[in-house]
Amino acid sequence: MVAALRAGDQGAMTALYDRYSSVVYSVALRVLQDTGAAEDILQEVFLQLWRKPSAFDAARGNLGPWLAVITRNRAIDAVRKRRPEVDIDDVVVSVETDIASETDRSRAVEKIRSALGVMPTPQRSAMELAFFEGLTHMEIAEKTGEPLGTIKTRIRSGLLTLRKSLA
Amino acid sequence: MSIHEQLGEDLALYSLGVLQGDERIALEKHLAGCNSCRQELEHLRGDSALLALSASGPQPPERARARLLTAIAHESRSGSVPEKKSAFAWWGALGWAATAAMLLVAAILWQQGKDLRRNIAALQSQSSQSQAELQKAHELVNVLTTPDAAHFTLVAAKAPPQPQGKAIYVRDRGNLIFLANNMPPLPAEKIYELWLIPVNGAPVPAGLFKPDAHGSATVVNPPLPLGMEAKAFAITVEPESGEHMAPSSTPIMVVAGE
Repeated sequence: MVAALRAGDQGAMTALYDRYSSVVYSVALRVLQDTGAAEDILQEVFLQLWRKPSAFDAARGNLGPWLAVITRNRAIDAVRKRRPEVDIDDVVVSVETDIASETDRSRAVEKIRSALGVMPTPQRSAMELAFFEGLTHMEIAEKTGEPLGTIKTRIRSGLLTLRKSLA
Repeated sequence: MSIHEQLGEDLALYSLGVLQGDERIALEKHLAGCNSCRQELEHLRGDSALLALSASGPQPPERARARLLTAIAHESRSGSVPEKKSAFAWWGALGWAATAAMLLVAAILWQQGKDLRRNIAALQSQSSQSQAELQKAHELVNVLTTPDAAHFTLVAAKAPPQPQGKAIYVRDRGNLIFLANNMPPLPAEKIYELWLIPVNGAPVPAGLFKPDAHGSATVVNPPLPLGMEAKAFAITVEPESGEHMAPSSTPIMVVAGE
């Protein structure tokens, strides 16, 4: 389907939208907390994919996770009212789990939420503040009153926990 | 603990785009030469994508789909940004740039030509107007000065002809035309002299003349200083020989400005 997209197939673009628009919209909405702004990011991300499908390297990952990361980055840029800091060409996302189908995705989301549910709250909070709000570890430390090193460790450990949950 | 493990926490922050300052610079320097850390970065981004999926649930409105499909339909791939520019593409771009530059130069030259044509037309029009005015002036002077011209002076009936003088003076250009009629015949070795009487100062010589057999005479553009304000013109009878720079007798006629 990505190959068809590269060939300029509008039908392929429609199919990809139907498959991944909820992921893109959900991430944008979680970051922006505004449906109109989330729609704008949704439009922007898919138009970017249409204009430059080569930015996604199918040999090095799946489209769904890549779109999720691209969307999150763009939404954080919008919140901070800044130009995109990372070129989408430079974003390579490696996930073993296939979330192309609705069924696979639902199963993966269930595992992820389960892992987050048993994760210590400070760890989950530090990770979510960094990812969904774009706060630096220093800003998180200032907000929570905890040492910088602790915040760093929690973020990394939280991400590795999610990885293991789908292994 | 290896260097990679030490950098692991910074790598996690970097994967989320929240590592700043010197730590970020140092990590990017390390990443440039470390393949295993680059691979770990890709995995950490994958982990963050899993976190993103935890937000799944909300569905975009149907209008968002229609909006995107409309935008795509209007933006055909051929009109989109090229993905990779080949050398040929660059040459093509160069060609377009050269064409654009040539068009720009042509437009400037065309505009300059248009301006020149407009200026020439204006000058031609001005020249034609000047020639017409000159021709009119020549005709006027010819009529006034030709010996063949018959001069008629209308005066009250039964009144004897009286000497008359008419001076037309343009101060700023120093132009003067003087017309005289019914001037008395001059004694031998005498000549009439016209004087410009300025507002301040001594009379200024404004030309010598002798009337014809009918008592008519003209003085056209005698040498006069520019911009001299005249309050009157006067005529005296002067010796024919001499310098004629100052009146030697009382004026026989004085005409004041109207």
